[in-house]
Amino acid sequence: MTEPRTPDFDVIVVGSGPAGASAALVLARAGKRVCLLERGPFPGSKNMYGGVVYGRILDTLIPRWWEEAPIQRWVTRRGTVIMTEQQSLTIDYRTTAWGEAPYNGATTFRPDFDSWLAGHATDAGAVLVTSTTATGLLRDGAGRVTGVRTDRPDGDLSASLVIACDGVNSFLAKEAGLYPHAVPENFTLGAKEVLALPRDEIDKRFGLTGHEGADFEIVGCTRGIAGGGFVYTNLDSIAVGVVLSVTQLATAKVRPEELIADLKRHPMVAPWVEGADLKEYSAHLIPEAGYDMMPTLAADGMLIAGDAAAMCLAAGIWLEGVNFAIGSGKAAGEAALEALVTGDVTAEGLAGYRSRLDDSFVLADHKRLRRVPELLMSERMQTQYPQLMCNLVEGMFTVTNPTPKKGVVALGWQELRRAKVKIRHLLRDLWTSVRTFG
Amino acid sequence: MPAGPTERPTIGVALKWVDLRPEVDPLTGAIHDDLHSFGCSEADRAALEWALRLAESWPGGDVDGERAEPPDVVVVTAGPAEADALVRDALAAGATRGVLVDVAPDAPSPEVAALLTGVLEGADLVCCGDYSVDRGSGSVPAFLAAGLGAVQALGLVHLEREPSGTLRVTRRLDHGRREVLAVQAPAVLSFEGASAELRRAGLAAVLSARDIAIDVVPAIAGRVARTQVTRRAPYRPRSRSLRPPAADLDVRGRVLSLTGALVERTPPRTIRADAAEAANLVIDQLRTWGYLE
Repeated sequence: MTEPRTPDFDVIVVGSGPAGASAALVLARAGKRVCLLERGPFPGSKNMYGGVVYGRILDTLIPRWWEEAPIQRWVTRRGTVIMTEQQSLTIDYRTTAWGEAPYNGATTFRPDFDSWLAGHATDAGAVLVTSTTATGLLRDGAGRVTGVRTDRPDGDLSASLVIACDGVNSFLAKEAGLYPHAVPENFTLGAKEVLALPRDEIDKRFGLTGHEGADFEIVGCTRGIAGGGFVYTNLDSIAVGVVLSVTQLATAKVRPEELIADLKRHPMVAPWVEGADLKEYSAHLIPEAGYDMMPTLAADGMLIAGDAAAMCLAAGIWLEGVNFAIGSGKAAGEAALEALVTGDVTAEGLAGYRSRLDDSFVLADHKRLRRVPELLMSERMQTQYPQLMCNLVEGMFTVTNPTPKKGVVALGWQELRRAKVKIRHLLRDLWTSVRTFG
Repeated sequence: MPAGPTERPTIGVALKWVDLRPEVDPLTGAIHDDLHSFGCSEADRAALEWALRLAESWPGGDVDGERAEPPDVVVVTAGPAEADALVRDALAAGATRGVLVDVAPDAPSPEVAALLTGVLEGADLVCCGDYSVDRGSGSVPAFLAAGLGAVQALGLVHLEREPSGTLRVTRRLDHGRREVLAVQAPAVLSFEGASAELRRAGLAAVLSARDIAIDVVPAIAGRVARTQVTRRAPYRPRSRSLRPPAADLDVRGRVLSLTGALVERTPPRTIRADAAEAANLVIDQLRTWGYLE
């Protein structure tokens, strides 16, 4: 194919989710001709997430973003729950500080949030083209990416650089040969139900006022399938969902909605969702394996960011995706800008992307927590430890009069034996946890 | 007046900007709109496609020594500024001009039709969907035809233009029958949604449509008398009084008693009769049921 003399755009950003919109925003503000390509009818129409947007990274893109972003609730109550079929043990933290500017995390509807962020990019001059799917890459004789082919008639679009933010199952990254580790074991399936309830009822059930919100991450609620669950509040709805290992889900022959139904029946969750009407069901793949599944981030004429580059942190107590997408998209935009200025859009010329990510939370956190996905997905963490912890706490708080109380250590030994946890495994997991989280 | 042989004909297309997936509160009947799900109905999209096909098939070449121009396809929609996106989609698909009439989304049909009439005055043809998806009554095409002094053909599934300029349109009737009509311009044609699929706009056209100027026509307040809804209550079907079942019945018997299932009834009859005899039979039956003395 002959390379066009003048590309249609300086940069084509494929996908208008948080990563794509952030990249486009950075480039458009710098005066570059940017095309933001979206396969859905509007930004965010195809997107889903499992909880909270942490907006600190937004401070660098849109100062005082909290005054205009379409937020449902500000998360002021954050819980981590260990669960068995009948028991639950919660670390339940709340603070009013997270309910005030500059806030910590928020729940939002992705169609609203993504449209808002992409709106900033278009206001800055990016050209948003919706209902258009990038079906492949255009290359010159040397193999350098020179644009994308779309599913529209006469749908070839050329650019000096393509930034693929086309989501977890990135066809463009695969076509560019950047994704050698796209094996099913690296992915989880997130599925959730949005349940409608009156706003004041949600406030009562979760102990919230005003725009305060709650978010609970749960382990031990997936019938032993590696993964977890979550419950979070919107203004007048509650989201209840599970995240499940794709391969183990297939082996178990269980449907994700059955596990959501289990979660809704659990004695801890049932009172929260009682009488709620199902408003929406959605499911999405998640790149769960973290640092070790990350693809090569740049090719000649191309960068990848967001879920397409596996920039999603699934590290037990920290479950974050949107902020990593924004961080990686921003870094991609800055690196692209630098490469366009120097005129070198080869993989070497785009090396600034990797170094920017290395220097930021995006790769620093992923590197530090790279052992967590394997630790969390182990059978011990999914079934044995939740049972052990819940039984231990139940033993501590069960009053056995007239029999005298047992010591905590004795109880611990008893529950270790009951849960069939080997000491060496426990010590090894503790050591891994200390090295990872410490 | 329709265009002469050398004047550029105009085909108008009226698209309604409507929420395609509104959320209805089952208790109060309140409707919650979401700007993201606004667009036009399949019927309107089909109408645009027929208009574009007609424009493409319009005979070109010289007429009496003068060059005949292809028709101007003017798309008009009534709605807020956001409806601009719908007009641009139509321009990308091939329409030549776009007009946005600034009017409230809940404006009544006569008012919308009056505004559209002002924009489409002099059009040879106006294509529109046969009814909108927001409980539309299909009345705008009729009001539009009256306002433009045009003939109307509705419920169309096909359109052809004969060399003479006469339009041959096919409309659907009950029981799968079809009716073919010969229509002369000026005419308002309303199409069924399944009659055509709107073409997918090319990428270059989508990009260039972003920069095409769209005429915005302000709504004229008080142009048409409006009836105002002062109170709206949710739909509540009338209650029916049922006699309680006998106390000695078992559960199945109580359910049968309440629902009237398995009760012997006079089976329906099919009678073949001429009109006079059929009328007598209907009157006799009504007397039997007690509706007539």
